[in-house]
Amino acid sequence: MDDDEAIGRSLAGDLSAYEALVTRYSALAHRTAALLGAGDEAEDVVQEAFVKAFRHLSSFRRDAPFRPWLLRIVANETHNLNRSRGRRSELTARLGATAEVAAPDDPAGTAVATDRRARLLDAVRRLPERERQAVVCRYFLQLSEAETAQVLDWPLGTVKSSTHRGLARLREGVGGELA
Amino acid sequence: MSSHESFDDLEARLLDLGASLDVPAPPPADVAAAVRTRLATGATPESASGTAPEPAPEPAPGTAPGTAPGTAPGTAPEPAPEPAPETPAPKPAPELAPEPARKRRPARPGIRRRRWTVVVAVVLAVVAVTAATPQGRAAVTAILRYAGIELRLGETPAPVITPTTLPGEREVEPRRLGSLVAFTVRTPAALGPPSAATVGDDGRVASMFWPDGIRLDQFDGTMEPFFFKRLGPPHPQDVPLGTTTAWWIGGSHPLGYIERDDGTSVPLRQAAPTLIWQSGAVGYRLEGAGTKERAAEIAASLR
Repeated sequence: MDDDEAIGRSLAGDLSAYEALVTRYSALAHRTAALLGAGDEAEDVVQEAFVKAFRHLSSFRRDAPFRPWLLRIVANETHNLNRSRGRRSELTARLGATAEVAAPDDPAGTAVATDRRARLLDAVRRLPERERQAVVCRYFLQLSEAETAQVLDWPLGTVKSSTHRGLARLREGVGGELA
Repeated sequence: MSSHESFDDLEARLLDLGASLDVPAPPPADVAAAVRTRLATGATPESASGTAPEPAPEPAPGTAPGTAPGTAPGTAPEPAPEPAPETPAPKPAPELAPEPARKRRPARPGIRRRRWTVVVAVVLAVVAVTAATPQGRAAVTAILRYAGIELRLGETPAPVITPTTLPGEREVEPRRLGSLVAFTVRTPAALGPPSAATVGDDGRVASMFWPDGIRLDQFDGTMEPFFFKRLGPPHPQDVPLGTTTAWWIGGSHPLGYIERDDGTSVPLRQAAPTLIWQSGAVGYRLEGAGTKERAAEIAASLR
């Protein structure tokens, strides 16, 4: 069952079909919410987003991809959550265990790589909010520029310029070790 | 990956970093089951907000099902009230978690409450009245919740004849007000120190009074709605206030209080035109300022 078929059946009220869609996109939705700043409330945000997506499914254009449409709702929910808290969104993700075992037979090299990652993550964290969001969408979520524009509800030009400025700032910040 | 420059080392490192980030997520099947449970008590996409789920287990306003998202006035069973299209952002309004969500996740009792924060703070949540009493159904066409205040829109309501005070309301020295409530009390610089102050409902609401009939209520706006207002046309107008939106209720209207225990609506009095807004976790209502402009000016001067 592909997305379109699942959506068609969901629109007809088939909750099992929608459950399949939720299962398919759950991990990505959590990742998006967490990396855009939902913090430990990512689970709430995602559940809310899926419920809302179902309720708005009739407004989804069937010839468009489902993924950015869904992620936009997730991004909205995350944004709303942070705004309601009166807080700035923050990137709270941690380096995963996978970073540690990247090169098991080269502990020193692994430590260096981990350290480099940690410093880069820290630099991304300190980016101005828009630049950080653009970088997160483009590289951490691996969305295209067009998808990023849809998810963040920005004009394409803003995505390009924010990404560009964010990369430039990161180069300044961690530039020394890139050489 | 940027269109105007070649994919470089920094971009490669960012991709690598992203792949190494540890983002915890519950098993997808659990998420799907939780979502399904919530939807099963709700509606199909077509009938979205129109279907009344099973009767609400408690008649409290916080459990009214069938929340209509603010961006979809077209799918609402009734015409959406005026403010809906003017909510601060064109985003789906957050809505309440129906009961099953709470049942499924007993380990996290704070969730419903935290959702309320989202509900009251972000946009006016438009709720189709499906769980109301038959009388309520006839008189009220929509409920808006904002800043701890529930606005019941419908036909012009009969005025409240016998004024009542808030439960436990007592006069206190204005300068002591801040020490008697759980939130930070602020004073509008445009008015100066109040001439009188009261605390009500065990410190849940702080009120300040000025000689020219202006009254400012500050209350915990994060939980269940605290006040209700019954309004006929004209409907509330939005008023920009710093980075948020306040709402101006231009006519005199019945004001009441929603009991914490069982959600009973207790009429208080006929209120003068009022500006309502929220800042952080605190809800505000400013009554007696006369005009919308003056009210906004006073609201903007809170220190």
